[in-house]
Amino acid sequence: MDLGKKNRTSHRKRKPVKKGIALAVLTLLFAWQMASTYAIQRFPKPEFESGYITPETLLPTPRAEILEVMDVAVLLMALSLVTWAVLKRRSRNLVFWISVFSLAYFGFYREGCVCSIGAIQNVTLALSSGSYIIPWTVLAFFMAPLVFTLAFGRTFCAGVCPFGAFQDLISWRPQKIGPQLNAVLGVIPYIYLALAVLYAATKTDFIICRYDPFVGIFRFDATFGMFLFAGVLLLSGIFIARPYCRFLCPYGVLLNWISRFSRHHMTITPSVCIQCRLCEDSCPYECIEKPVTVKNPDSRQTTLKKFILAILLMPFFMLLGGWTGSQLHESLALVNGKVWMANELLHPEKDASQPETIEMTAFKASGKPASELYAEAAEIIREFYIGGWIVGGFIGLTIGGLLAGRLMTRYRTDFEPNRGTCFSCVRCMDYCPIKS
Amino acid sequence: MKQRMILIASLVLLLAVIGYMVYDLFFSESDRSTNPYDYGLAELRKSDSALIHYNEVQQFSIGLSEVYGIATDPAGRIYVTGADIVEVFSPEGELLSTFPFQDTAYCITISPDGTILLGMEDHLEFMSPQGEIINRWKPVSEKSILTSVATDGTDVFIADAGEKIVYRFNMKGELINRIGEKDSLAGIPGFVIPSPYFDLGLGRDGELWVVNSGRHLFEAFRPDGTLISTWGQPSMEVEGFCGCCNPSHFVILSDGSFVTSEKGIERVKVYLPSGEFSCLVAAPNQFDEGTRGMDLALDPNGRIILLDPWRSQVRIFVHKEDESDGNR
Repeated sequence: MDLGKKNRTSHRKRKPVKKGIALAVLTLLFAWQMASTYAIQRFPKPEFESGYITPETLLPTPRAEILEVMDVAVLLMALSLVTWAVLKRRSRNLVFWISVFSLAYFGFYREGCVCSIGAIQNVTLALSSGSYIIPWTVLAFFMAPLVFTLAFGRTFCAGVCPFGAFQDLISWRPQKIGPQLNAVLGVIPYIYLALAVLYAATKTDFIICRYDPFVGIFRFDATFGMFLFAGVLLLSGIFIARPYCRFLCPYGVLLNWISRFSRHHMTITPSVCIQCRLCEDSCPYECIEKPVTVKNPDSRQTTLKKFILAILLMPFFMLLGGWTGSQLHESLALVNGKVWMANELLHPEKDASQPETIEMTAFKASGKPASELYAEAAEIIREFYIGGWIVGGFIGLTIGGLLAGRLMTRYRTDFEPNRGTCFSCVRCMDYCPIKS
Repeated sequence: MKQRMILIASLVLLLAVIGYMVYDLFFSESDRSTNPYDYGLAELRKSDSALIHYNEVQQFSIGLSEVYGIATDPAGRIYVTGADIVEVFSPEGELLSTFPFQDTAYCITISPDGTILLGMEDHLEFMSPQGEIINRWKPVSEKSILTSVATDGTDVFIADAGEKIVYRFNMKGELINRIGEKDSLAGIPGFVIPSPYFDLGLGRDGELWVVNSGRHLFEAFRPDGTLISTWGQPSMEVEGFCGCCNPSHFVILSDGSFVTSEKGIERVKVYLPSGEFSCLVAAPNQFDEGTRGMDLALDPNGRIILLDPWRSQVRIFVHKEDESDGNR
């Protein structure tokens, strides 16, 4: 009997039960969130059956510091546990249940905030603005996964990130999309990261939070549009495993870079690879690199040409990207509220048919002179001009690096997880016949 | 082949998500063209025309800039009060008399003997049918804001929105008892009056009906202050009362039904003596938005007399069946 087939069959038989239990837990958490939604006070008052005295509206008290300490402690504990499960126990089951816990705690209980992904913006703002002091918990949530990744690979993605856990749960029929498309779509997180940093640095917006598809579900308070947005993303996630992690997550870019240098990254086999190829198609994220057994497939001259081309490609794309970004800086800056307002004031005829916006009404009521607003907007646009060069250059460098990377081949003898993109989910280990 | 199609569809969905983000970030201005803080009561202001059982048969203007209270006497004359003056109109709306006085009267009622009782901010004044001030009581309390007064000729009941209490006086001005004070043993929850709209009236059996507007409740008391019954349901639907404090005013029909007026969502409704919603007298679209303080009275022919302070008008409503009988 084909050992690989047996392994895959047994693996698939277990999966529905495990996912069924996890989904039941998820449904319960949904119900909990929905129940609390009904407790929200609305205007006009809700319909009480009897002489209930509506209490005075109270502002929520800040989260107790001890609970914040607990959040960080739970994060560190979960990171440690999942790293142990990945590297020592090599147990997919354990990783799976840790991720369910993380989804429950960091997702539904902590309602997706603080999250390491969004913390990128806080860190950026803290670095670019002297007036913003980053809370230590946010910094911890940003740094801890990076430190663990540097040592052990992306174990954070495997079982601690609630977004990843959520997508893992609904990834019922993952299909492969192929390396080319994977690489092209893989550029999007870099663009997203660059824009998120640009908008945070210019104090424009926290776009990662704005387009966070999961927080609205965790809190059950998303607008219809955001529910639809999340629903469509999750629907695609049934067949394309972890679409947010692979093709959107800006934090994943940082983890990808750092993980390449990780000292103790997981391996598919605990010992010597016997080239059985059972793991070849096991990764739903297409992160397994096949062996390249020929050390120098090209002639020396061809290799030199490729190397020179790669060296030239990156600065070329960097300059091209930077120039393009600088040309788009005004369009990019229009997302900023002050720039948008200044633009509206400068072109009052543009939307004469539309009712005045509340921002415009508020600005006019403030008595602030338009010249002051124009000066502020001009300064922001100048920041965007510089930012446009940096963002464009970064995206160009990414594309150039991607192309250069495809020119070069790296010698490897075994099936190996791609250290950058591998989520350390441990699925592939289940397929490896060597268990010790 | 099927798998390939599914994959393509999934990719399209994924690209749609990314496309939405790009569109929303750079091209959409929908967030700015709508006010997310808008109360959005427009839908609630709509009402089913089939529920309106009354027609507005008459309206006439009052020559006063500030009007607060309205009352009728057994002859059907209409009394409107405001700052410094009481105007008396015939049932047809003809101005009969004007009675000047000092101060501002926020509420008015006519005693069975024709005496006009005027509720000032903190005290009561009595005016003869000829318009002479014949008595002036001492202030009730420093915090008083008198919003409604009723009398059966023996007792005078005064609603005080400042103190959130109802006082029962005899005709000599002696306080007999306080009504509606919070008393958990007696099952009296106390009045919740967030704004100075606190109405009262006497029922067919001499019971005192008071609007506990913050609780959206009608409460009936015996003159000694014993709570008899309550009705009312907070609801955004037409059957109930909504907002901070409604209804603002009411009057009791001869069959014991209640006519109520509300602010916020301006409307006038009729409830059966049991408290069950009966019909609409006037829908929100019949009033200017923001209208409040619509005091009510009833004339001997059962016509509902409504004071519209926003338009400075007296508006008269008649049941559609009565109108067809020629009762105008």
